[in-house]
Amino acid sequence: MLVSSLAFLLSISEKKDLSWIEPSSDQVLPELITYPNSYGKLEILNADGPVQLKNHPFFEPIGSNGRACVSCHQPSNAMSVSVENLQKRWEETHGKDPVFAAVDGSNNPKLPQELKSSHSLLLNRGLFRIGLSWPPKPDNGVPVKPEFTIEVVSDPTGANSDPDFGLKGKEPSISVYRRPRVVGNMKYVMSPDPRFNIKTGTLAVTDPETGLVVGMNMMADSRHYTQKAQAIDAYHGHLQGHTFLTPSEQKQIVDFENQLYLAQSHDPWGSPLVENGKPEGLGAKAMKEGKVHVLANNNRDPIFHWFKTWENPETMSKDLTKEQKEFRQSVARGNDIFMFRPFWINDVTHINSIGLANPLRRTCSTCHNGQMTAQDIAPGWVDLGTTNYPNWTENRIFNQKTDLPVFKCTCSPSADPHPYLGRVVYTTDPGRALISGKCKDIGSIVMQQFRGLAARAPYFANGSAKNLMEVVDYYDRRFNMKLADQEKKDLVNFLSSL
Amino acid sequence: MRNGILIFCCWISTFCAFAQTTTGKYVAFLACPIVRDSKAMPCWLAEKDGTTYYLGQQGSSASAFYPPQLKHQVLVEGFIQDPQKTSCGGIVIDPIVISVMPELDVACTTLLPAEDGLEPPAPVPFPKYEPFSDDTKEFQILYDFDSDYLTLHKTRIAGEAVRVAKIQQPARIEIHAYRGKSKLSDGTILEEKLAMVHRRAEKMFDVFVGLDISKEKIKVIEHEKALGGKGEGDYLNRKLVIKLYK
Ligand code: HEC
Ligand code: HEC
Repeated sequence: MLVSSLAFLLSISEKKDLSWIEPSSDQVLPELITYPNSYGKLEILNADGPVQLKNHPFFEPIGSNGRACVSCHQPSNAMSVSVENLQKRWEETHGKDPVFAAVDGSNNPKLPQELKSSHSLLLNRGLFRIGLSWPPKPDNGVPVKPEFTIEVVSDPTGANSDPDFGLKGKEPSISVYRRPRVVGNMKYVMSPDPRFNIKTGTLAVTDPETGLVVGMNMMADSRHYTQKAQAIDAYHGHLQGHTFLTPSEQKQIVDFENQLYLAQSHDPWGSPLVENGKPEGLGAKAMKEGKVHVLANNNRDPIFHWFKTWENPETMSKDLTKEQKEFRQSVARGNDIFMFRPFWINDVTHINSIGLANPLRRTCSTCHNGQMTAQDIAPGWVDLGTTNYPNWTENRIFNQKTDLPVFKCTCSPSADPHPYLGRVVYTTDPGRALISGKCKDIGSIVMQQFRGLAARAPYFANGSAKNLMEVVDYYDRRFNMKLADQEKKDLVNFLSSL
Repeated sequence: MRNGILIFCCWISTFCAFAQTTTGKYVAFLACPIVRDSKAMPCWLAEKDGTTYYLGQQGSSASAFYPPQLKHQVLVEGFIQDPQKTSCGGIVIDPIVISVMPELDVACTTLLPAEDGLEPPAPVPFPKYEPFSDDTKEFQILYDFDSDYLTLHKTRIAGEAVRVAKIQQPARIEIHAYRGKSKLSDGTILEEKLAMVHRRAEKMFDVFVGLDISKEKIKVIEHEKALGGKGEGDYLNRKLVIKLYK
């Protein structure tokens, strides 16, 4: 009797706390739920109503390693997973949570798994190992003959030199390390562009099942065209599933993803960001109602609409404190910088190289041009520089050592070179080139949506920016923006409210 | 037949002007491009043998003029109508065709600050896209030197060719791919890579097949001999021609 009522009490307290959802949990994800983070609160909206987690394939350990999709896509972390939450989880479970599974939750599956150091990339940078066959095996089954060879220059994790699964292994694959991406607001992520891919000048890819054009903005390298293909791959890979996802499981997963909207909803003092529907670009409801595929790098209808009511304390709610009003003004200024402050964008493949001039005097929103998410509305792989030497994030002033593997890519003389680095490129992640096999794609990473940033540090696909200020600092250095301290703060406040 | 080509030529206004212009002094050269900031739009210049030329200004992917790129040399082909006419401090070349040379040249890095009085002219209006007439029999696409990249403008022509082919249901479609030579003002002759012929052809073939034109109907003809090399009009040889036969 005592035991069972204790179990009952435990299950109640468990029910309350959805900050880490374990696989097979007997909880309900409500229609609307908020989660605190260091910038305020994040809001998750299940447009189809409350979600029963029990028996739901996104939440059940349907593979063989005890993980569920939710292990790495936690609602409290805007459907990604933050380093803060991972570290907490490590302490609570002594590293036994299935999220740390050897296959990709450690630097190398062959390292002693009980050691924290074997999971350093996950615990310090939030990175999972992504093993990709090399040469590539793309979704559409059309074989790709790579234009470049890959040598391992430095292999701190040992994964790329492994005799079984390393680059020269029996089943050659390359291991790169990447952050999980937000699973939500998917109608924007998946929205297709016109028939031609403006960046490559070739036909856009189509879904083999429906024949419809796909958006190519999912995953850091756009390797999956559809959510279904992605889910099947995650089942075999991350979940180490040995059989198959049934069609009904596939549908349940994709349906769940498609009804989920998320965005930051409250300011650092706990007040709602949106009042009387203003600013119209913030909050999960706006995400649900927004139009998809709007090119918004202009002053007609900007990326996150307008912040007019926040430009002036007079037009804000009387109940807000001075500090709160100042915060809102700072966000509005940050939006202005993001939209309109020009700087020289240089040496970025698929932006400068597509007829737009190198350098190009434009703004953040030139690349982050899609309304509501700030993803590129064209297929968004771009070599911003985060992974390629010398603009990579791994630069430290005094040493060039990196925790990540370094590869030397050598392109064939007959291939078009990387437009700004030539035919020999040092990189920590060749990105899109691992799928396309193209020399010019080396280091191109698909930008992801800006929503829920506050809940899911660190940033960039390689988890190199510990916080939003480090993201802004990267741009300041990379493009010599000469941002004043106040401008940097404004940008950070702006990004934190999305 | 003629009609098709004419319509194409006027597809993009600069090309249209170019195709019909014989006035002015023809210049062709390779140089490092130079970008000069300005209050309006950054302008693009190039210096050759001590003379600075104005090429055009920054725009968008819908603009007729695609500017050069630092870290690459630019091939300039065009006409000087009036050596006194300058923009942003350079003699205006108009009409103009430029190509970004694909290989790196890390020496090309000059970025100049804005200077009072050095402004580009008003931007050239975006080219207008009239659909091709449904009985067009021939479509032509021109490329940058040593490039098979189909820009927004070029994919529109390709898209139109497929649209028209679907209406006409031709018995045979021929894709003719060419490469060109370019004679520079100093007498040097540049020749496009042989591989361009195949790459241009293959890309267009993939577009047609990808847009559901039956493979069996398409005949690809690769013209390996580099054409031109005479100066004026050399840019017209870096081309691909699509012909529809009843
Ligand atoms: C071990 C952690 C992990 C698990 C478990 C996991 N994912 Fe992911 N997920 C990732 C990572 C890492 C990425 C980004 C990979 C990349 O960019 O190459 C990602 C990306 C995604 C994306 C792309 C989002 C976007 O906008 O690009 C979707 C959708 C997704 N996962 C769904 C799922 C589903 C469905 C499952 C369960 C079948 C699942 N994930 C299980 C780590 C995980
Ligand atoms: C030249 C194109 C380009 C410009 C300009 C640009 N970005 Fe980015 N941005 C990218 C790409 C590509 C990524 C993904 C890079 C990666 O993950 O390695 C990215 C990633 C980001 C991210 C990280 C998102 C995440 O979830 O990790 C933020 C935030 C961001 N950019 C903000 C900005 C701001 C602010 C500016 C202006 C100061 C800006 N960007 C300008 C291309 C650009």
